Amino acid sequence: MPLSDADLVARVLLDDDHHAFAELVRNHQSPIRGLLRQLTRGDAALADDLGQETFVRAYKNIRSFRGEAKFSTWLYRIAYNCFREEARKRKELVGIDEAQLEAQVDPNTVDPALRQDLMQALQLLPLHERSAIVLCCQNGLSHDEASRVLDIPLGTVKTNVLRGREKLKKMLAAWGPN
Amino acid sequence: MDEQLQGDWLDARLREEAPYLDDNGFTARVVQQLPARRSQRRSFRALLLFCITLLASTITYVVSGGGKFLATGMSDLLAQPIWLLMITAALVSVIGTSVATLAAVAKLRAERQ
Repeated sequence: MPLSDADLVARVLLDDDHHAFAELVRNHQSPIRGLLRQLTRGDAALADDLGQETFVRAYKNIRSFRGEAKFSTWLYRIAYNCFREEARKRKELVGIDEAQLEAQVDPNTVDPALRQDLMQALQLLPLHERSAIVLCCQNGLSHDEASRVLDIPLGTVKTNVLRGREKLKKMLAAWGPN
Repeated sequence: MDEQLQGDWLDARLREEAPYLDDNGFTARVVQQLPARRSQRRSFRALLLFCITLLASTITYVVSGGGKFLATGMSDLLAQPIWLLMITAALVSVIGTSVATLAAVAKLRAERQ
């Protein structure tokens, strides 16, 4: 039976157990890297570097995780902080890596053209709306959890999600349900 | 109704846009960057302290002419009046207990914060 996040965290706290922490990384790497890819406008290499930084920071500061929020929410917050620090350093993040986007397309599930339009539409959103949309609509966080991750008031998260969704709807109107 | 349909459609597309990303060595790279385990760090520190102590003791022994100062020191100490030895022992106990109590209180405070 797989161990829960709480059990794995306890093992890391008790014995600095690298195997337990590796299990936590395996369990959470996909959504964290996915979030960072969206925030970095599809730059997979930069997103993975930030992902590694996120998990190393989580390991070093695991004693500050008090279990009040879900472990994944805590990780999202660290990831978002890593991204913000990097963005401040670079001021302007690199553009969309087209080749990477092409490689991610799964022709069996989504029309590649729709996928590309959706990605581009997402990346046209301002950072605060894109972050809220990615966390709430893609990764399934509640508005309350997203407000903790982004460190902004709950009402602001709701507004950002609403505005972002409206903009996406307009940008993707041609693809809507028929 | 159209608005609702479009909203549902958008949510579904957004969820599809978050596919599972294969690990592809990501976890291994993270684990390589983790700091050494505390127990390993502790063992290394203990070994280092032991080596330094051993070296310092050896140097002291050689420099002091085979540790003669210890015998001289003990005989000097035993030549002192007993009341002086008792007062010294009491003072050392009081100071040691005070320092230990302060350290325990400081640690308790740090853990509570």
